[in-house]
This record gives sequence, C-alpha cells and structure tokens, in this order.
Amino acid sequence: MIRYDHVGLRYGIGPEVLSDISFNLDPGSFHFLTGPSGAGKTSLMTLLYLGRKPTRGIISMFGQNIGAMTREQLVPIRQRVGVVFQDYRLMNHLSAFDNVALPLRIAGKPEKEIKNNVEELMHWVGLGDHMNALPNTMSGGQQQRISIARAVITRPRLLLADEPTGNLDDEIGFRLMGLFEQLNRMGTTILIATHSQVMMDKFNHSRLILDKGSMTVVPPKPKAMEGAA
Amino acid sequence: MSKERAIGRAEKRQYDLPLNRGSGTGFLVILIALMTFLGMLALSASFALSAMTHRWSSGLENRISIEIPTQDETGKLLDRPTIRTLTQNIAEGLKGTPGIVSIHALDDAEITKLVEPWLGTDLAKTDIPIPGIVAIETSTSDSQTLQAIHNKISAITPNARMDTHEEWLSDLLRFTGAMKLVAMILAIVIAVTTVTAVSGAVRSRMALHRAEVELLHLMGASDKYITRQFQRHSMILALRGGIAGAVFGGIILVLIGWIAGQMGVAILPDFHLEPVQIAMLALTPFAASLIATISARWTVGRVLATFP
Ligand SMILES: Nc1ncnc2c1ncn2[C@@H]1O[C@H](COP(=O)(O)OP(=O)(O)OP(=O)(O)O)[C@@H](O)[C@H]1O
Ligand SMILES: [Mg+2]
Repeated sequence: MIRYDHVGLRYGIGPEVLSDISFNLDPGSFHFLTGPSGAGKTSLMTLLYLGRKPTRGIISMFGQNIGAMTREQLVPIRQRVGVVFQDYRLMNHLSAFDNVALPLRIAGKPEKEIKNNVEELMHWVGLGDHMNALPNTMSGGQQQRISIARAVITRPRLLLADEPTGNLDDEIGFRLMGLFEQLNRMGTTILIATHSQVMMDKFNHSRLILDKGSMTVVPPKPKAMEGAA
Repeated sequence: MSKERAIGRAEKRQYDLPLNRGSGTGFLVILIALMTFLGMLALSASFALSAMTHRWSSGLENRISIEIPTQDETGKLLDRPTIRTLTQNIAEGLKGTPGIVSIHALDDAEITKLVEPWLGTDLAKTDIPIPGIVAIETSTSDSQTLQAIHNKISAITPNARMDTHEEWLSDLLRFTGAMKLVAMILAIVIAVTTVTAVSGAVRSRMALHRAEVELLHLMGASDKYITRQFQRHSMILALRGGIAGAVFGGIILVLIGWIAGQMGVAILPDFHLEPVQIAMLALTPFAASLIATISARWTVGRVLATFP
C-alpha cells in the first residue's frame, strides 16, 4: 500500500537526512518507527504525509506514484492519511471540539454527523468535559489527545503518529495504543514513531529502525516467543 | 477548573483560520470605504457631464442661425431697413426648402434683447445698425440639406453667414470627452488601488497564518476550500467598507444637489440623476466587494501554488 524505493531527502544544500530508504507497508499492518534523536523519524513522517517532496527515489501510495500526480490529485490522498504531529499543531483559536471536527469539515460531512462522532470520540479520549476549551489553556497531555482524536476521527487508511504518547503517563499511553490497535483491526495501516522501549515491548509489532539516515526493518517476534522477551 | 473554562471558552467558530484575529482589518475597511466614496463621486461626475452634453447639444443640433452682417462685402455699413429687408428675403426665400421644419426671422426687439446683457438697453434708441438673424430648425443635419440651404441664401445675398453651431458643439464634446476620460482613469486608479491593497492584506494574512494554512492543506483541504475562507472574509470586510463609503458618498451627493439647487442651475449643471444612474451608484459598494473578493481569490491561489 505504501512503497518507498531508494528514497532520499536533504534539506536545502545540507547533507542527506534520509538516504536510500526502501520499505513496504502492507494494508492493515502496524509498525513502530524508532531510532535515536535526530535519526530522521520526523523527516520520514513529513514525506509520508506529503509535507515535502523527496529529493530522490520513488514513492507510491495507495497504488499511485506520488511524484507523477498534480496538486489537485494529491488532495484525496491527503484525506486518507491521519497525522499526529510531534508538536500537535492545533488551531489555537478553535475550541477542542472544532479542532477535532476539522478533518470532517474538510471532507464535507454534515454537521449532525460531525457532532455525534466528535462528541463520542472526545468522551472516549477523556476530554468530554473540555469540548469548548481552547487548546492553549489545556495541558500538554490534553493537547496531545486532541491531536490524536483529530488524526483518527476520519478513520484514515494510514495513520502516522510522531511520538503520540510522549507526554502521557503510561496508563493513558496504553489506553491510546489500544485505540490505535482497535483502528488497526478495522483496517487502518499504522506507523508510530517512538522512543519508548516500554511501548515496543508491550505491543509486538514490526519495527523500522532509522539510524544516520538508513533503515533496518525488524519483523515482529514470532507468536511462540511472545511474552518470553 | 471553572475559571479555566471561562477564560478558555472558544467563541463561535466562523472560519477554520484565525482571520478575525489581529489588526489590519480596520485598515482595509476604511480603505475600501474611501475607494467606494471616490468611485461614487467619479461616477456621478461622469453622469453630470453626460447630462450636460446632452442638454447643450440637444438644444443646438438641427438648429441653424443665419446672420446678416451690418456691412456688405465691400465693407459699407448697411442701414437698418436694408438689413430688415434682406432678413425678410432670406426667410421668404427658404420657405418650402426640403428638410426645414421652421423659419423664424428675429425682429429688432428680439435681437436687442439677445445682446442686451453685453450692450445694454440703449441700443434700441440709437441708429447703430444691428445684424439680422434668421433662426431655422431642420429635421436633419445631413450635408445635402445644409448645402441646399446654403445655396439658396447665397443666391439672395452672398454676404450672409450660416452658423450650424458645429464648431461650438465639437469643442464642447471634446471638452466633456476629455473630462469623461479623466473620470475613467480615476475609476481605473481606484480599482487598481483596491486590488493592490486587498492582495497585500491577504498576502500578509497568509504569511501570518502560514502554519494554519499549511495544516489545512496537509489535512487534505483543497485549494478551493482554503480560498473560500479568505474570499468570504475579504468580501465581508469589503461590503462593510463599501456600504459605509456609499452612505457617506450618498450624503455628499445629496448635499451637492441641494447646494446646486440653492445657487440656481445657472452655475452648476442641472444635477438630476436618472433611476438607472441611482441604481448604478447604489451598486458601487457591491462592485468594490466583488473586486476585493476576486483579488483575494487570485492572491490565495498564487500563494497556495507554492505549497507542496
Ligand atoms: N526543516 C528542517 N530544515 C533543516 N534540517 C532539518 C529540518 N528538519 C529536520 N532537520 C534535520 O534533519 C535531521 C533529522 O531530524 P528529524 O527531526 O527528522 O529527527 P527525529 O528522528 O525526528 O528526531 P527526534 O527523535 O528528536 O524527534 C536532523 O539533523 C535535523 O537537524
Ligand atoms: Mg522527531
């Protein structure tokens, strides 16, 4: 479903931050993206949500070659990708509710459907009492949950999350991982960038390990070994 | 908790982008108000010029005056009875000429009255010869008719001058034409200023909210979706400014009309607007708003084209 072929990225005239990256994400698969700070996790995420164009290589998403598409043709591709940004990127003039509702409004959904879906999800992530609050009056963890709710509200085909549990205590972190797994069972492909060894140990998924711009893929442990680690 | 919610409560969402925040909107409203005001004045001026041209030219076209000068071709002064007779002869001689609707030979009293403002009332009491005038109204002004009339007059007295007012009319038309051109250039300057100001304002808004615009773009908002927000915002601002400017302009126009009425029509041309013209003036703010909307759309489109 997502296919990277010898993809490289450099910022301006700097060195290659990502070099010769090749990998495949199958439909309905679940992956962690890990590696030391500065390894290029966020940069790869940026390529995946089409925030930048690669400086070399071929990217294909949902069976289409991205490099050959017009701006207009990229719009539906973007709508199929949900993103949890490392820095949240919430709209500070909009209420929590309106932030979560944004992708649905962009998709042109009717207001009634928006209200029901958003309220349900916000209760689920524990923000039912904060619908009308402005993001910058909320804690880091609360903002993170808004950004996660916004990313999953449309049930995207691909969910990208950059350190989504970074600011959350383990209990809420696990609960949100549960949300991602539930979404994954309904068919969403998931890629989560994380530093957390605890998360990667608790949830057995394939790991894409980035180091100095190169990638190694480590498949999930076989079922028999689960729990032994 | 309750305090946080009181402060943190969001107002009703109007746009996905924070377009109602920050300064700069007031400037645009005032600018568009001024542009609308100037536009209305320029438009009214061109209406007044049209009315003036129409009134003057319709008073003169198809009218010919024939003047029998006080001297014959050798420079000898003619006495009043002779001029009188020549005048009568011309009036009689032109009767029945095709294209002529009416002939009127002015008598001495009428001519005296015409020149009275310049020469005073004493003229009638003297022997000073006064020229004869025959006023003719024709049904057309084509050269054939005019030539036929000219030939007939020449046959009676080669000395008579025929005045079709053409020279005076073409001077007048050249003048009002130039004034209309000035009004048109003014209108273009106003439009260009509005486009420039709105584009600049939209451009700086987009730079200010670049992160938010980019976010919408990344979430799959089409260019149309994003453009619509800026477009609507600009349209509302422009309408607010345009209507304020139009109200102000309307008051000024009514005032000018009232002052003109007080002074009498002699100085200012009859300041009277047709219903169509009033409608056009009333549409000025909407034209301003249309210009603002289109410039906003164009500017946003150009900036969005630079996004990946
Ligand atoms: N916009 C940018 N312009 C120039 N260089 C950049 C930019 N963004 C990232 N870099 C560089 O690219 C490299 C990879 O950064 P990136 O943010 O992708 O790492 P990361 O793996 O996400 O790190 P972290 O775990 O700290 O979030 C770094 O050396 C960084 O300095
Ligand atoms: Mg990062």
